[in-house]
Amino acid sequence: MSKMRKAGRVGLGIAAATALLIGAGAAQAKDALKIGVPTDLSGTYADLGNQVIRAVEFAVWEANEAGGVDGRKVEYRSLDTEAKPDNARRQTEKLVREGYPVILGLIASGEGLAIAPMMARWDGLYISTINKSDKLTGDSCEDRVFRVNTQSAMDAMTIEPWLKQREEKKWAVVAVDIAWGRGSSEAFAATAEGAGKTMVGQFFIPSNTNDFAPYIQQVKDSGADGIWVVLAGRDAINFAQQAKQFGLIDSITVAGQSFTTDNTVKALGDVAKGIFGIINYSSTLDTAENKAFVAAWRTKYDADPTNFEGETYLGMQVLFQAVQKSGSIAPADLGKALSGGEFDTILGKLKMRAEDHQLLSPNYFGKVDEFDGALRPVITMTATPDQVTPPVSCSM
Amino acid sequence: MLIQVLNGVVYGGLLYLLAVGLVLIFGLREIVNFAHGALFMLGSYIGFSIAAIFDFWLGLAGAIVAMTLVGLCLDAGVLRPLRKHDHMVTVLVTFGILLVLETFATAVWGKAFRSMQPPELLSGTVELFGEPFPVYRLFVIAVSLCVAGGLTVWLRHSRIGLYVRASSVDPTTTGILGVDTDRLSLLVVGLGTGLAGMSGVIAAPLMALSPTMGNFILIESFIVVVVGGLGSFSGAFIAALLIGQIHNMGAVYLPWASTLLPFLLMVCVLIWRPTGIAGGKG
Repeated sequence: MSKMRKAGRVGLGIAAATALLIGAGAAQAKDALKIGVPTDLSGTYADLGNQVIRAVEFAVWEANEAGGVDGRKVEYRSLDTEAKPDNARRQTEKLVREGYPVILGLIASGEGLAIAPMMARWDGLYISTINKSDKLTGDSCEDRVFRVNTQSAMDAMTIEPWLKQREEKKWAVVAVDIAWGRGSSEAFAATAEGAGKTMVGQFFIPSNTNDFAPYIQQVKDSGADGIWVVLAGRDAINFAQQAKQFGLIDSITVAGQSFTTDNTVKALGDVAKGIFGIINYSSTLDTAENKAFVAAWRTKYDADPTNFEGETYLGMQVLFQAVQKSGSIAPADLGKALSGGEFDTILGKLKMRAEDHQLLSPNYFGKVDEFDGALRPVITMTATPDQVTPPVSCSM
Repeated sequence: MLIQVLNGVVYGGLLYLLAVGLVLIFGLREIVNFAHGALFMLGSYIGFSIAAIFDFWLGLAGAIVAMTLVGLCLDAGVLRPLRKHDHMVTVLVTFGILLVLETFATAVWGKAFRSMQPPELLSGTVELFGEPFPVYRLFVIAVSLCVAGGLTVWLRHSRIGLYVRASSVDPTTTGILGVDTDRLSLLVVGLGTGLAGMSGVIAAPLMALSPTMGNFILIESFIVVVVGGLGSFSGAFIAALLIGQIHNMGAVYLPWASTLLPFLLMVCVLIWRPTGIAGGKG
């Protein structure tokens, strides 16, 4: 009997101690920062989606190793959108409803544009790290939407000095037939015409195209001496392979946006050599912040971070600083901290413009060439944030 | 214009190589094989890996042999045990196989895209209609014509070909007449899968290798099979060439509707002739 009572007393003691511990824990630990990552894991841009996931994983791991962000644990959950706007909308809503209100990682501009108007209603926050369409921070801008990557207008401004010095007079565009391709094509055409060039054709190709031959033939028939290619992921590889076989890549000048990225060049090898293109991030950038990031990344993955990994990581940096600044994880508070704020990033100290929520970042241009014994996009021109500040066309 | 017609023949030829395997398997086992795109993908990767060590030709041969073996296992291990079940069950199982093969490819080759170059002998261009045309594309046409010709001769003029055709029309009666339909199926599923593997390697120098690459071309192959007439070999050939032309001409003259046109053709054919161009089974 006394034994039982003793056991009961011990049990009571343990229960009380546990309750105390839980109480203390609750008082100490703040709610976790939960990030939703809807991205393409099986569609045309699946390779980009993998890079997004890896960068998020790295940033989350790094933050938690350092004791969290503002004393909060960081968690993320990802869902597949196949880069389709309707899926993006469904999966993003699911993530927000499951308690992951800070969204990051969508690839196609159409996806970003599909969720942008919903963010306020769902009480979420979206940070674009890859969407290029000017509209996202232009005429379709939203209070709860921010962009840390460069928009097409900024990329067009970056190539302007290069385009002016080129001898090619006739240019054509080969672009994927989605919001990104249409927007980039428009921005390029305006820049090219401004630089005294003639546009001889704009060819829009459905995403997930297997056979590019009819389009390659049309480019040849157009008589263009230069093409601006707005294709990424699977489309980029299919086009480059087939255009090379037709002799197109060797006979005219080829430049592009998100076309010859680190991973595409790795997959294509010699086919990509000599192709010009916008470089939004390169692991070779010679800044202290970037060197530290690349070194840490190498220790974990035994490889250099790719352009999309760098851009996604930059988005995570900005988000973490917004959490620290506001001391909150409520999307409304984060939005206030982001708007007009200055952030330390791997590309230096950058400002998030309050008028349209576009991060004013530097941009780069270069060519696929040998670098340290391997082919990769190599920077040949750098544009400062001042040189590529896009006009504001947003009214919040 | 003539170059565009030729381009259409190339793509049609590629679709035919993939679709004819589907037709073979449908004819004998009466199931639509959803795993066919994954078999195409696996063939690509096997060819890619062998070609990386040796050369393209060994890669092609290796992929055909390996995928034929996979096909034999598929028939003996999955399709035959399930033949007494509802066809829907088998179709769902093939869908499961698709997912398993995709995961397998991700584990072995990773998710990053890969690309494969045409062999030295077939790289470069030849002058055709006053324009440079890739030699590799002519090779694709040659391979599809050889496969179409070879299959026709085999099906029309050999005893086994006769059994295959008979079994495609009525497997029960063919079995009653003393033909071992199980062995016949083993052979045909092996052949169909081997063809999927071959088309995977043939397609590899034209498109990016990824674990989900089969999904992007399988839909068009299904359209070929339906338009041609389920289970019809000659129908698949005509339909593949037709889709190839529609695909190319659409891209040139009606770019805004180019993705819609193959589906539109399928709808029209189904209304006009529900059994497909070449009849087939009703």
